[in-house]
Amino acid sequence: MKRLLRIFIRFVLILVSLLFVFNLPGLLEIGKDKVQININTFWSFVKSDLHSLTSINDPRYWEFVQTVDLAESYQYTMTILVLSLLLVTLLSVVISIIVFISPPKVRNLFRSIVNFFEAVPDLLIIFLFMFFVVTLYKTTGFKFLQLYGVFGKKPYFVPVMTVSFLPFFLLLQFLLKVITDEQNQLYVEYAIAKGIGQVRILGVHIFRNIFPLAISQLRSIVWVLLSNIYLVEFIFNINGFNQQLFKVVIYGGNITTLVIFLFMLTIPLLIIESIGWFLSRKVKGKVEASI
Amino acid sequence: MRNFQKTILGSTFLLILLIVSLLYPYYGPKDFNHKVIMTNEQGDVIGRAPFPPSEQHLLGTDRNGEDMHWLLLYGAKFTLITAIGVAFIRVLFGGALGFFISIWVPCLKSYVQDLFIIFRYIPSVLLGLILMIPIVGDFNDVPVSSIVIYQIIILVFIGIPSVTMFTSDITGELLKTTFVQSSYLMGAGKLHIIRRHLWPHIRSYGILFVVQQIISTLHITMQLGLFGMFLGGRSRAGIMGYDEPPKPATLSNEWAGLIGQNFNEFLRAPWTIFTPIMAYFIVIVVVNMIKKELEQNLTGREALKWNRKRKNVRQDPMKRLTSTDFQMVDVRNVEK
Repeated sequence: MKRLLRIFIRFVLILVSLLFVFNLPGLLEIGKDKVQININTFWSFVKSDLHSLTSINDPRYWEFVQTVDLAESYQYTMTILVLSLLLVTLLSVVISIIVFISPPKVRNLFRSIVNFFEAVPDLLIIFLFMFFVVTLYKTTGFKFLQLYGVFGKKPYFVPVMTVSFLPFFLLLQFLLKVITDEQNQLYVEYAIAKGIGQVRILGVHIFRNIFPLAISQLRSIVWVLLSNIYLVEFIFNINGFNQQLFKVVIYGGNITTLVIFLFMLTIPLLIIESIGWFLSRKVKGKVEASI
Repeated sequence: MRNFQKTILGSTFLLILLIVSLLYPYYGPKDFNHKVIMTNEQGDVIGRAPFPPSEQHLLGTDRNGEDMHWLLLYGAKFTLITAIGVAFIRVLFGGALGFFISIWVPCLKSYVQDLFIIFRYIPSVLLGLILMIPIVGDFNDVPVSSIVIYQIIILVFIGIPSVTMFTSDITGELLKTTFVQSSYLMGAGKLHIIRRHLWPHIRSYGILFVVQQIISTLHITMQLGLFGMFLGGRSRAGIMGYDEPPKPATLSNEWAGLIGQNFNEFLRAPWTIFTPIMAYFIVIVVVNMIKKELEQNLTGREALKWNRKRKNVRQDPMKRLTSTDFQMVDVRNVEK
């Protein structure tokens, strides 16, 4: 009973925050030379939104959704997300192994490079990629890489590369830090003393131990990927899911569609969070059993 | 060791940039060397803006024929003041809220977390865009000051949840430490604990938060600028060759606005985009350097304090006792 009440309160709180945040422009009215707080407009907006949320079966609210190609664009955006996530994880794991078996001088060089990329803004990377592709086209005259999403075409290669560039460095930085911490652990020293090779210690023992941590880090990677995809779709003019969302924000207007679109956008985050939750429970259970 | 070399260096750089930008009206050309058509000695037209970077135009010009480097210098003050101001307000309000929650009503923390759940799942660019479009998304004849206030409120609003949650977490951790616990046991009140035990820690965390928030504000203003949400709104009269319908131009020439305004020119004049982004990049690198050093100081402080304590513990050598320090006691009197 208590738990049910708690879930109910949570639901109400989330609803309240949704209504408050999306009606904030109604609350803050632009006055003559200052911003005024206008409770009346705000309240009427909230009421109409509540009505819209409760009468979700009304076909009028679904007219707008039918005008956009929802399924196809969503599939495209999620494909980009999954591809870049795979690319990021694979590359960063491989590179981190290479870093750790290379001599200390090279390792420090790698570290400073990775730390440098922490400060690079994502827009700079996106525009650099765009510039690179365009100059490649201009100098050779051949269209190696498709950039823009005009005439219903949907490029994959360039967006995936652009989107996953910075998250790759983010994950690599995290892996380097965690592995360095882990290398001082007793079990690693024991493994070295037994004569197990570097790569095997890394691949079998250390990676197994940092796995739960890495999953929780993957959440922020997905987060960065999502916002990068948003920028890339806008800059390359690709007709992906975020562009549909943009249409909803500008023309669509009603809160039900907005909430549904936003929820669809957060599904990957939810998936990765639940994976992390199950894993941490499993790990905790194991620790309890071993003690 | 704790040192602030990089912090001092970085802040000096930002301060100089700010002052140079504030003093722009006293030395810079008012129209940013506005020149659309270039002619040779005979008066023939040999070029049309945008011009690429050259000796005459250090960083090139935009479509209006205005020099990018003058524009950047002029706009720097708006970008920097907004970023720093918004970061301060975020930390002030968010920090106070988080502090309050952790100390007085820790039971409400999970509910506040639920209230802020939107901010955990929706990228902040998107949120900023959704909230700014109704006001800034079109040309309107509202005074600039109210638009700026509105934008600053939104920018602050977007960042407060993360600051609140961080502060609340850190205060919770500090409250669990042994020195606070023993102080509680010895009967200290909440105000005493805040003043003596929490404040010195919270203070240095606060500075670190401000620096972090400056970076995040710089990022978000840059991205919002790309979508045309310029600081200070859009101005109708602006760009050569786009008279009907008017193309939005930035009113203040702040850096994000320059990016958004020249976005369509990218293929013809990539320098108009790259120079503001590089300017952003340099500022972010400098702020990031400061942040790194502050973080290092924070984590290194525990070790440092330990060293200092050990130095203080060393006592004076024991005084040698002489026979005058002793006193004969009458044994029989004591027994009685």
